[in-house]
Parts: sequence; structure tokens; C-alpha cells
Amino acid sequence: MKLSKLFLSFISAIAILFSTSVVSFAKVVGDKIVLGAAISLTGKYSSNGVHTQNGYNMAVDRINSMGGIKVGGKTYKFEIIYYDDESNPKRAAQLAERLISQDGVEFMLGPYSSGLTKAIAPVTEKYGVPMVEANGASRSLFTKGYKYLFAVLAPANLYLDVAIETAVELNGGKPVKIAQAFEQDAFSQDVRLGILDAAERTGSKIIIDDKLPKELNDMAATLVKVKQMKPDVLVVSGHTKGALTAIRQIAEMKVDVPMLAMTHCDAAKLSKQHGKNSQYALCASQWHKTLTYKDDFFKDGMTYAADFEKEFGYDPPYQSAESSAALLVFKDAFERANSFDKKKVRDALAATNMQTFYGNIKFAEGGQNVDKPMVLFQVMCDDAGKCENKVVAPLKWASAKLIHPIPKWSER
Amino acid sequence: MNKNIALYAAILIFGLAAPFVFPAFKVQLSILCILIVLATTWNIQGGEMGYNTFGNILFYGLGMYLCASVQVGMFFPLAEWTESGGEKTFVHTPAQFFQGMAAGLVVAAVVPTIVAGLIGYAILGLRGHYFAICTLGLGVAAGEISGGIEIIGAGQGFTTPPFPNIGSLEARGEFFYFLSFGVLILTFLAVRAIYSTRFKLILNAIRDNEDKAEAMGIETMKYKIIGWMVSAFFCGLAGGIMGGLVGYIDSTDVAFDGREMGVFMVLMAILGGKGTLWGPVIGATLFHIFKEGFWTFFLGWQYVALGVLIVVIVIYFPEGLMGWLREKYPERFGEVVDEADRKAQVELK
Repeated sequence: MKLSKLFLSFISAIAILFSTSVVSFAKVVGDKIVLGAAISLTGKYSSNGVHTQNGYNMAVDRINSMGGIKVGGKTYKFEIIYYDDESNPKRAAQLAERLISQDGVEFMLGPYSSGLTKAIAPVTEKYGVPMVEANGASRSLFTKGYKYLFAVLAPANLYLDVAIETAVELNGGKPVKIAQAFEQDAFSQDVRLGILDAAERTGSKIIIDDKLPKELNDMAATLVKVKQMKPDVLVVSGHTKGALTAIRQIAEMKVDVPMLAMTHCDAAKLSKQHGKNSQYALCASQWHKTLTYKDDFFKDGMTYAADFEKEFGYDPPYQSAESSAALLVFKDAFERANSFDKKKVRDALAATNMQTFYGNIKFAEGGQNVDKPMVLFQVMCDDAGKCENKVVAPLKWASAKLIHPIPKWSER
Repeated sequence: MNKNIALYAAILIFGLAAPFVFPAFKVQLSILCILIVLATTWNIQGGEMGYNTFGNILFYGLGMYLCASVQVGMFFPLAEWTESGGEKTFVHTPAQFFQGMAAGLVVAAVVPTIVAGLIGYAILGLRGHYFAICTLGLGVAAGEISGGIEIIGAGQGFTTPPFPNIGSLEARGEFFYFLSFGVLILTFLAVRAIYSTRFKLILNAIRDNEDKAEAMGIETMKYKIIGWMVSAFFCGLAGGIMGGLVGYIDSTDVAFDGREMGVFMVLMAILGGKGTLWGPVIGATLFHIFKEGFWTFFLGWQYVALGVLIVVIVIYFPEGLMGWLREKYPERFGEVVDEADRKAQVELK
């Protein structure tokens, strides 16, 4: 008898706990527009998750302090509810559900990485919640017919195909031999598809095609093959850890390859962490501070970089810049919709056509940004060992000439 | 017996009413049901049989991939569905969705059961730490292998069919909640029925002294395999539902999630008290509530808080909550206590 009483009281305790823990935020409270975001504060994407969060916070502060958002003759301010998705898609999907159904959020900002965005998009789509995301570049996000998903960045398959084309061009228009290694996640696999396309276009041959594990700390097996087979280009993509691991082991093993193309060099702070070892690495980037785009809030890339550095103590990687841009897009859409109706805001987002410090933003049918090309930069160091990322392609913004081929380790 | 019926009725009513009383918590409640299923089935090995398995996640992940694959494959070409960057969009009609889900769940339950039989035959001869390590390897290997199979999405992940647009927005949550609650009841009743037979005694005999059990003429291998197959059946079902609920399957982070689910199921069973019927249920419930709470109030530190909780449990409740209660109030567990005997035991310590 006592035992069953115990159970009953246990169950009622749970009931009470549940009913009291419903904190009702609404989409708009007083003069605040509440946005929801699941961010990777822990787990394998934690460093990029923080870049994303810093980007969001920077833009929220800036927009709020510069007059906020004007809707229906009233001024509103942005506020973001954050949760930690632990770099786990399962958690991210649950959190999206939680933000929408429990916290009452009606407008979402994206998480970090394509995989997590893929997990969240079905949820926001189901509830018709507009999501502006800045860190999910996988092409497969934009082919599913999502109506409420908007990405301020160019799709992942465009990241590095320019590098292959450049390599072919520098090879006198002749096909090149490509070695590639990609992490097994949605983003990197899409970068891989871009390379496959580029290889087919240029008639180039892929001689090494490796998959890297998710907890990426070692890729020596691939590098041994690279040493043996001497490809013209080595392509590596695996988020921040991929970039760091590649540079560390290439330097350790003294692997000579004429061109090294990567992603996430700036997010990994490669030039700072590995100094001269990272020299000559060619990196795909959504944004670079020297680009000449402008807006009213952050002025331009250089000003943004300086302000960001003052606030967070490091040079902003493109992940932060694109995250800040997401807020600018939301502000613009709210003001044009002049309403908090989800459908109207969604339509306003779809009609976005604006320039931000980060680049032009205009969404295609599938939600990807089609008005902003990728840039390639190369890590270049001076004799004192101070390294900097300099844009080398496209030529319109190039501030330095591409150094090719990469000098051999014995000559460095 | 009457009291028990009142208790079960109360829980059943609570379970049926929950999604309507707390509509915002449907997803968490569904996950709670899945967690209880996982903890309860783990308990068959870890608690009753004394075989600490980390391999049950294998059946869970297998069920997840199988259910989604069948659901898609029955109506559309699976390879085109999962093709990385696929340009095609397929839409399930409501009838297709539910038929696919039903068939998927059957496959998700049956195949892991067979797999458990085969693997069990091969490795259940191992004992103690060797068995634990071997099963740990199973989960890790499955994650890495499935991450390389193109037809189920490989590293790109597998987006499961979206719930059809029928009824209100709440329909999806209610569907998955009642599905998982149904599986929970099924699991509980099945395990309860098993625990009232000789089968449980045999499992306990294996736990307490396997050699002696064998010497008494019990075919221990047979029972160990059957036990594992029972667990696999329900783990597969749980996985299948979870795949649909999450909507996106990733090889190592969602399906063969040994680091989280694989460890959680052990933790929950231990927290509640392994080797009891109710222990895993209570353990899973408490664990889930604590975890959700930490998640809200200790943003970014939730695992630290969880770690502290685990340390506290291990130090103060080494036998789990049920074990602790049993020690405190043995009479209520139907044990006859002889005061003198108890004192003598205390003195012996």
C-alpha cells in the first residue's frame, strides 16, 4: 500500500513540476522581439558555435543600440533565447520543438553546421516558423522545397570548386590530379560533391578520395598516400578540427603538395595557432574583412572586424560575420512586413534584396543566398613570422597574388 | 493485488491524459517513454542477468535505420531519397506514411531480434569485462560502418519522411507520443510477464553463479540469447520510433549514439536500481527530469551538473533508489525481516 502511495505522490510531483515549468515567453513581449536559437556551446562544434553566438550577440547589441526595429510605428528590440544543442542533431531537433512549442518563439535563428540545420528545418517548417540561418550550407537543405528556411550563405558545393578551376588554369588548362579527404558530415560531404563536379568539368582525376571520422584528430593515413602519389591539389574539409589536424600533420610529416585547399581556416585561427606552418594554405570563405560591401550598422568589413575584435578579442571568422548578417536580414524583413505575422514576415524575407557589410543578400526559391560569391584567401606570412589571410580570388577583391606552387618543405 | 491495479490505472490515466494536460511537453514525454523502454530492456541483461552490455544501442540504431528505410523504400527509390544533395523531392501521402511506419516498425523489431540471436550466439560466451568491452565495440563499429553506406545517407545523414499534413499541428506530437507510450506499455507488460516466470530465476542464477547454474542442468547459453533477443526486439522498436520523432538520422550522433543513449540506458537503470522491475522506470523518469532541468538552468554546464548527480548517486545510492528503499523498508518489498538477524548482520560489518 505504502509503496503505491509513494508512486502516486511521485507522479503528482512530476505533474506539478511540469505545469509550473511552463514559462511563457511570447514572440513579442513588450518592446522585445524574441528570437530562438539552438547553438553548439559544447561538443565537437563548440568553437564554431561560439563564433556563431558572438556574431548574433554583436548584431543584437548593435541593432538595439542604433534605434531597434520599427514595426507599426513602434520601436522594438531583439532578444535571443539560447539553448545548447551539444553539437547533436537529435538534441537540436528537440530544442527547436521546445523553443517553438514551450517558449512560444515564432522566429528562429539557425544553429551551427549543416547537419544540425537539417535536423531543425523540418520542425520550423512544420510550425511555419521563419528561420534565417547563417551556418548551414549543405546543398541538400535547399532542394527539399522548404518555404521557411533562408540562408544568408552560399551553398557548400561552391566552396572549393574555384580552387580546382584555378589549379587547372595554372596547369596551363590541363587536368590535374586531386587528392581529397572529407569528414563524414553533411557539410563536408557537400563540399566533396562540389569538387566531384569541378573535376568532371575540367576532366581532372581524383586519385585519393578518403573519408575522415567525425572526431577528427588524425589523418596520417591519407597524408602517407599523398606523399606517395604526389597529387597536384590536396583538398581537406572537416570543420575547425579538420583544418587544424591537416596543418599540424602536414607540417609534422613534411608533405609537399603544390596546392592545399581547405575550409574553416579562419574559424580555426590557423594563422595564429600554427603560424608559418599554415603558410600557403588556400581557404574557402564566405566573407573576408577586406571585401568592400557596406551597410548602415557595421559600416564595412574592416570596421566590423575592428569592433568585433574590441568586443571579443579575436579577428572575426566568416561564421561570425554571416551570423551578424542574419540579424540584419531579420530586421529588414520585419520592417518591410510591418507586422509580426509569421506568414507576412516569411514573404518579406523571401523578397529580401539588400547589401550588408557581409555581402549582398537575395534568396533563391530554395532559400539559399544567390547574390554573394565565395572568396578564396591564402595564408601568407612575412619574414617575422606574422601571418595574415589575404584574398586571392576572385580577382575583383584580390589583395595579393596567389603563390603557386607551394614551396617544398626542404626549401622553406 | 488490488493496490497494484489502482497504481497501474493511475499511471495509465496519467499517461493517456499527459499529452493533453501538458501539450507543450509532448516531445519530452515521448522521449521519456523511449528512455524507459531502453532502461527496462537494458535491465534484463545488466540487472537480472549480470551481463553489462553496451551493445543494446546497436539494436536501437539498427531499428532506427531499418524503420526509416522501409518507410521510404516501400514507395520510393531509397537511393534517390538519400542521395547527397538529391534534387528530387518525394512526398508521402498520409496512407503511405502510416503504412510505411507500420511495416517499418515490424522490420525494426524483427531484424534486430535476429541479429541479437546471431551475435549473441557468437559473443555471449564472453563474461564480465570482456563481454562489456566487446559490446562497446559493436556499437562503435556499427556507427562507423553505417556512416559509410551511401544508400542510407552515409555522412550526409538520412532525413526521415515528414509527418503528413493532417489534422492540427499537434497531430504529429500526439501520434509519436501514443506510439511510444504504447511501446512502453507493451515493453513493461512483456518484461513483467517474463519476470514472473522461471525465466527470470534462470537469469538471476546466471548472474549469481553461472557455472553452478550450468552444473544444475540449465542451458545458460540458450537463456542468455533469448534474453538478449527480447531486449533487441524492444530496443529496435524504440529506435524506429525515435528516428521518426527526431526526423533526421545521423550515424554516430542519433542512431548508434553509444556516447549518449548507450550510456544513459545504463545510468538510468543503475539510478533507479538494477535488477528490479520498477527501478529502471523510476530511474529513467528522474534522469530525464534532471537532465531537462539542468539543460534549462545550467546552460553549457549541464554535463557537469549531470556528472555531479552521478557521483552523488554512486556514493549515496549505490544500489539505486529502489535498492535504497528496499534496504530501508524491506517489509514493503514483501521481505520478512528478523530483527535479531538484521542486527547480527550489522555487527558483522
